[in-house]
Amino acid sequence: MTDGRGPNGSVEGAAEAPAVDLSVDLAPTNPRELRMANPIIAASGCFGYGQEYAGVIDVQRLGAFVSKGVTPEPRRGNPMPRIAESPAGMLNAIGLQNPGIRGFVKKYPRLWATWRVPALVNISAESVEDYAMMAAVLDEQPGIAGIEVNVSCPNVARGGYCFGWDAEMSAEVTRAVRAATTLPVIVKLSPGAVDVVGVALAVEEAGADAVSLINTLVGMAIDVKRRRPVLANVTGGVSGPAIKPIALRMVYQVAAAVRVPVIGMGGIMGLEDALEFFLAGASAVQVGTAIFAQPGMVIRLIDELEAWMVKEGVGALAEIVGGAQPANGRSEVGAGAPDLVLGAVAAG
Amino acid sequence: MVDLEVRTDLGVGATAPEDDGSVVRAREFTSEVIAVEPAMGDSLLLTATAPESMVRQLRAGRFFNILCRVDGSYDPLLRRPYSVFRADPAASTLTFLVRPYGRGSAWLAERSIGATLDLFGPLGNTYDIAPRARHLLLVAGGVGAAPLVMLADEAVRRGLSVTFAMGAATAPGLLEPSLLPSEVEYVVATEDGGKGHHGYVTDLLPDYARWADQIFACGPEPMYRSLRSAIEPHRVGGKPPVQISVEREMACGVGACLGCVVETRRGMRASCVDGPVFDLDEVIW
Repeated sequence: MTDGRGPNGSVEGAAEAPAVDLSVDLAPTNPRELRMANPIIAASGCFGYGQEYAGVIDVQRLGAFVSKGVTPEPRRGNPMPRIAESPAGMLNAIGLQNPGIRGFVKKYPRLWATWRVPALVNISAESVEDYAMMAAVLDEQPGIAGIEVNVSCPNVARGGYCFGWDAEMSAEVTRAVRAATTLPVIVKLSPGAVDVVGVALAVEEAGADAVSLINTLVGMAIDVKRRRPVLANVTGGVSGPAIKPIALRMVYQVAAAVRVPVIGMGGIMGLEDALEFFLAGASAVQVGTAIFAQPGMVIRLIDELEAWMVKEGVGALAEIVGGAQPANGRSEVGAGAPDLVLGAVAAG
Repeated sequence: MVDLEVRTDLGVGATAPEDDGSVVRAREFTSEVIAVEPAMGDSLLLTATAPESMVRQLRAGRFFNILCRVDGSYDPLLRRPYSVFRADPAASTLTFLVRPYGRGSAWLAERSIGATLDLFGPLGNTYDIAPRARHLLLVAGGVGAAPLVMLADEAVRRGLSVTFAMGAATAPGLLEPSLLPSEVEYVVATEDGGKGHHGYVTDLLPDYARWADQIFACGPEPMYRSLRSAIEPHRVGGKPPVQISVEREMACGVGACLGCVVETRRGMRASCVDGPVFDLDEVIW
């Protein structure tokens, strides 16, 4: 026995019978549950429909993955250019290119039903009725472990105002989806909301099994030579390590306020980033942009998390979730009252 | 034939990729720089190690996404796509043509012998020489020469007749003739008239359009537009067919992000898996 590492650098026994419990149920009050072997999820928009990475990494080892956003009708997406790099990050304005819910169900649920990894479907729509329609269609499909509702879309009935910026509109979508399916429902929160905690509380009340955050922040880049915006869509979503501190702050605030599981994401590039999100109160994390650059990292992260837990004597992930929250006596701000926490964070 | 194993592999019960000897799947691997030589004026040829079986099965047109930052840095965040300039199975190496013009390529151009690189690939499809083609016309614009040099190597090995037409702004920007197989006919054009034809490489094409059984091109998008107008009057029924390699901003390289799409007559196609090689007549500009 040397240092406990196998010939390929992985921790011995990491793949078999874990010495520590990495499992998590993201829908504990839903009879259908959302049980995952570990808390590492590949994020929507960064993992296609899973099959794109199936020949590259061991997709089946993931805690779960979230599909690219599906819409009621097929979408061609935005004109090019759709992506641009930004400092330690990137901008994207893909425009939800996808085959539409009907094209989607013909292809992927049957494939995923043969997979071990739980598949979550991300849905986007421009009306409450369309969200509900898609949830009802997905409810009858095999191979689907849950739905992630992207509320960062314009509400056509309200003049294009983003659903996710408003607590009541987000709650309305959540109620409609909840009524249309018994599948676990995760609502993906928009960082564009003035009061993200208010939105989180509203969707929890409306029946969300979990919340995930943050979606991308809206940004832009300008080509100085052409004196024009780089993206054909002008604006795009900023992701990557550049947004991590903002994401972490929002996860910390939301986790302090809601009782449902929180899924944290935003710029996670490795173990230390993931641990920060767990300590902020996330029960699971999503990895997105990092996969574009280093696909293998998302699998290594599972092994590294397990090795870290063994080393630190953490028997179950739940022991560290929210560990940095004031309620756990490990923070100096707020003294345990969520409203004071928010005030302190905002002022600080 | 175009191999699209990344896209068509449904990965049922997929495990970590194994080299089964028939398909080269994309993988991340560590590579060592073993040679750096100046080329084409401000560019350089960077030769790095790769698994022998991968190098042996590689075909022209495929590319690798190279991480252009040191461990622990997140900037620049995304990998940079590089077509293979030359593949040497005996040495188990790949050579890339690097022109420093952005943050990623500038970083890559500063690597010296012994440096470690993080490669992801091989990615994308390939140029496809038709079984009955005898005369090939290769049209290169600037650093677009890279995949065509590998294609010239392939064609010469198959005993085909190759004309390599290259254009650059000035003479130093042209590919050194010694970098091409000696069997290749090499014709050049420079915008300032410093060497060869005074003008664009596409001006040279009408003379060859009827001779060629197939045309293969790689260069900037404006070159493809002038290529089309230059050869169109000489084509009959879409012949000779033209394969072009498109360059797009790219993130994932495996068809997941849809950031690099090309509009074609068959809809939006991801240039990383459905390309980078497309039929010129398929692409809608």
